[in-house]
Amino acid sequence: MSAEKTLPGPASAPDPAEVRGAVAGYLGGIRDVVVLEMKQRLRSRGWYIMLGIWFVVIALVTALTWAGWNASMEVRYSTPVPDGMPQPDGPGSAIFEVVLAFVLLFALLVAPALSANAVNGDRAGGTLAILQVTLLTPGQILWGKFCAAWLAAIAFLAASAPFLIFAVLLGGLTPGHVLVSLVMLAVEVAVICGIGVGISALAGRPLFSIVVTYLTVAALVVGSLIAFGLGVQLTQGTIKANQAQYNSAEFGPGAYPGSPEYTCSGPLVEQDALRTERVAWLLALNPYVVVADAIPYPERKTPSYYYSGGMIENISQGARAALAGPEGTYACANGKVQPQYLQQTTPLWPLGLALQLGLAGLLLWLGWRALHTPARRLAAGTRIA
Amino acid sequence: MSVSEIPETTRAPLASGVSAVGVSRRFGSVHAVEQMDFEAPAGRVTALIGPNGAGKTTLLLMLASLLQPDSGTITVDGLDPAKDSAAVRRRLGWMPDTLGVWESLTAREILVQMARFYRLPKAGIDARVAELLALVRLEELADQPARVLSKGQQQRLSLARALVHDPSVLLLDEPAAGLDPGSRVELRTLLRNLAAAGKSIVVSSHVLSELDEIADGAVFVNQGRTVKQQTIEEAAQQGRRYAITALDPAALAAKLTELGLEFKAGSGRRPSVSLLLSHDDGAAALLRDLVTAGIAVVSFGPASGALEETYMSLETERK
Ligand SMILES: Nc1ncnc2c1ncn2[C@@H]1O[C@H](COP(=O)(O)OP(=O)(O)OP(=O)(O)O)[C@@H](O)[C@H]1O
Ligand SMILES: [Mg+2]
Repeated sequence: MSAEKTLPGPASAPDPAEVRGAVAGYLGGIRDVVVLEMKQRLRSRGWYIMLGIWFVVIALVTALTWAGWNASMEVRYSTPVPDGMPQPDGPGSAIFEVVLAFVLLFALLVAPALSANAVNGDRAGGTLAILQVTLLTPGQILWGKFCAAWLAAIAFLAASAPFLIFAVLLGGLTPGHVLVSLVMLAVEVAVICGIGVGISALAGRPLFSIVVTYLTVAALVVGSLIAFGLGVQLTQGTIKANQAQYNSAEFGPGAYPGSPEYTCSGPLVEQDALRTERVAWLLALNPYVVVADAIPYPERKTPSYYYSGGMIENISQGARAALAGPEGTYACANGKVQPQYLQQTTPLWPLGLALQLGLAGLLLWLGWRALHTPARRLAAGTRIA
Repeated sequence: MSVSEIPETTRAPLASGVSAVGVSRRFGSVHAVEQMDFEAPAGRVTALIGPNGAGKTTLLLMLASLLQPDSGTITVDGLDPAKDSAAVRRRLGWMPDTLGVWESLTAREILVQMARFYRLPKAGIDARVAELLALVRLEELADQPARVLSKGQQQRLSLARALVHDPSVLLLDEPAAGLDPGSRVELRTLLRNLAAAGKSIVVSSHVLSELDEIADGAVFVNQGRTVKQQTIEEAAQQGRRYAITALDPAALAAKLTELGLEFKAGSGRRPSVSLLLSHDDGAAALLRDLVTAGIAVVSFGPASGALEETYMSLETERK
């Protein structure tokens, strides 16, 4: 190695090969931790049995949804739909929605179990310090444990993918739907795993961190709705709007169900309204909202009176309406005709995902600090070894 | 900063062992280590001795770059663990006193993983692991999950784990705990060989007779403070307690009193007396005197090791 440099200019700039080597070394360390975690935690028959049960349960849910759909169609369409009218959708989207909701629910329940004792479980077992004393950095340990938990959770998602694909085959959806929903499920699971690993690095005892992670998941799923509901009460405001004149030809061609056309006229008057946009971020924290809002709506060439509006659509439109607030939803707000159902286009999920990733990132960062060695402060009542 | 800019001295410092100067560490209100000084030169085995809760494990954690001292300086082969932890860890092998093993992994897998964590060249890992398994006599159990290993076997695995990257400083926290006599002898030989190869070895243990055989020097700690540092020669010179048993204890006692020696009744199962003799010549002379006086001496030998002698004298001083 020569100490002399012929070119003085880029002396401070790091050599790209060196940087690449360092990055590869860092990633290699993460991979080694993942390998260790996989061998240590997942080498038990229990997980494979769980995976099998998961597969069977989702198969049952799919079968029941399909049977239920068939039964309800028989009742509703005992007389065939007249030719000129749009035909009802196939069972695809109904099955898709139920399976998706179910998979998300179970993924949210499995992810904490996989992640929330990753660090302090090792600390309790006396193996964390063994890792810390090697050349692994706290970041590598944490990312390794996160990736291992995430990969395990993704195995569960992979086991449910066949049923989402099955739903696509039954019609009404595109492969893009499956792809987007699987990606969003994977991201949501990553958020939960990140939260779990972060908490496990911070909390002293495994049981405590598992409980806290489950409570966090509950707060995201249920708490966000409650908080939104309560928060909305506090957002009483006013909005300037004028009179809406509804068309009598309500069922004319091109009309959407529940979207009578109207024109706005008259002077603008202050009216009471709930300024939901101020608390929409609470709704955005909900994993169901994020997933539902990110999935594009099934394409429907003709508006269908029979179509009740899928669950995913309803969640998404409701969330977007909350985000738009009265300015975007109140009839004749500021004297303008407002976009109707399925016309709210500003998505809420980027905000929700950003908040969720922010929370997971914050916890991981705090956990990373707690893993730093030589340790300055130890959590009360914990020993390194 | 590129590698070429680092001065040669910090990159490859001489193997100089570990030292701690004025190190303190507290946990809340507990002063686990207070102003402790410790020195373990290269090429020697240094014993760390002290009662339960004296702060031995805490000191070793600080030396192992896992715990940051509140004050004081620590150097490992001339490097500061807080600033240069990667370089320090490359040279440092640490065996904790708790038995923590990845239970689902086999002994071989554990060692392979450790080798990877230390970024050893991939090509040499398998050979190195096989060598270590042979060293700690775990070849036959190498492909069993670590969960099924006995305590002593896990302890030996833990030792192999600390040795995987051929460290120049070895910190062993109660390595002999749970080992059978044969394994203890092997451990002793192993540590002596490593010390002969120029490595600095720190052993904390409560089995002082064991340390007598292994250690070149000892550091006595109590209540977080260094109480005494001495080499094994110094310990031997300060006199040793001898135990004597005779067929007729009364005659023995009478003769000893006549010789003007201070002695006390032993605490063992057989009626014996023990007394402090300053050097080995004195012991030989006394034995001759007793035998010529017609006392039927059954046994005559050191009652305790040199380190135990120091330890007990420190204990009595404290009271
Ligand atoms: N993480 C911690 N939090 C609080 N107190 C601690 C912690 N670690 C050690 N201590 C206290 O510091 C003191 C020294 O503990 P340490 O483990 O170093 O003792 P030791 O000399 O290794 O004892 P032993 O011979 O029993 O292994 C003890 O009083 C212990 O209770
Ligand atoms: Mg200890």
